[in-house]
Amino acid sequence: MKLELHLAEELGSHLADGAKAVAFRMVRIDPYVGMQADIVLDFTGVRHGNSSFVNGLLTGLLEEHGEALLDRMTFRGCNPVLRVLIEGAIALGIQKYDTRARA
Amino acid sequence: MRLVVPPVINAAGLLPFLAQLGSVATVEAEIILDFSALRRVSPAGLVALAAMVKHWQSQHIHRIRFEGIHQCPILGYLQRMDLLRVCGVSSTEEFERHPSHGRFVPVQQIVDVDSISKGVAACLAPGGDDFEHPASPLYDLAAYVIGELGANVRQHSRGTGYVAAQVNKGEAMVRIAVADNGHGIRQSFVDAGLAWSHGLSDTAAIRKALEPRVSSKGEPVNQGVGLTLVTGLARHTQAWVLIVSGTGIVQMDPDGQVKEQSLPHGCFYHGTLVTLTFLHSKLQDFYTLLDTAKQEAGLLAKRPIRTRFT
Repeated sequence: MKLELHLAEELGSHLADGAKAVAFRMVRIDPYVGMQADIVLDFTGVRHGNSSFVNGLLTGLLEEHGEALLDRMTFRGCNPVLRVLIEGAIALGIQKYDTRARA
Repeated sequence: MRLVVPPVINAAGLLPFLAQLGSVATVEAEIILDFSALRRVSPAGLVALAAMVKHWQSQHIHRIRFEGIHQCPILGYLQRMDLLRVCGVSSTEEFERHPSHGRFVPVQQIVDVDSISKGVAACLAPGGDDFEHPASPLYDLAAYVIGELGANVRQHSRGTGYVAAQVNKGEAMVRIAVADNGHGIRQSFVDAGLAWSHGLSDTAAIRKALEPRVSSKGEPVNQGVGLTLVTGLARHTQAWVLIVSGTGIVQMDPDGQVKEQSLPHGCFYHGTLVTLTFLHSKLQDFYTLLDTAKQEAGLLAKRPIRTRFT
């Protein structure tokens, strides 16, 4: 099973609003994570993103499911700025997952 | 109460003006704003004034009168910057409006963060959405700064926010300002139930908001890196930063030196104002800038993580 989401088509070319990202994640991604689906997040056409948006989209996912989730995730069509934002959001999520696991 | 708007509201003139706005009690039955002497105002002065007038209007102060508008030497500028329109003051414009692209962003309310981030960037840096265009660094920086500050207004302030910006080609500077009329940074921490926020001064609360991973909203909506990275980007581009919230004032100069102050006793700025001044010559590739700011704030992984990009 594969979930492929085209962010520019669904949310636009400029993604800054973290609250919007969390709402999107809860409705469009979370239900599929538990179904063991492969997830492709396609950023083609996204010109600009912010930490707030990308953290809202990814950090909670990684915090909940840990680094193993990355085996099923692919990030497509990212410009260099989006790559930095995605790497930062993932690092934050994994760090929180590890902290929770140790607690 | 009569408030005479001072002649110059920029640089050193901004803080006294904010103190003046902050001295108005919300129980006033009438506020008269006299614009007759005003001859220079920065985007920060404009958004602070717009946010405050809207705050007074929301507090049901019976009358807010704009006087001396027609004697004001920069009436045309105030009209072009849409200050009067935003404040609900009608006035006849004796000029033809032209597109403001590459010159200024008029005062506008922050409603949709994504669209305002895109709109301001496109206005300040025409053509910059093309990565190869010389304006691309400014485009990305403006989109990022407005995106983060706009998200703060929408998520934390419980008020209404305004943005304005100006490109000064002579000085090769870009001034960006965002102001809201919400409950301020310190109160947002208190309302979030953060125990450490009790007893914090407004100035200390601003400093706390600059630390990474401090948020009044809580997860998963917010990871508390917005202001941290905005000021990090400012530090690496040798920008000026001013943040005012409640009685607190925090400034950062181009050398990264941070100065803390307070508004005079009895003055309280009802909301938060953030203004940044960037020098064109200091802007660089945004990817490098963001990567550096994130590294510095400890927001990137300390070990390799297998992330699949295609």
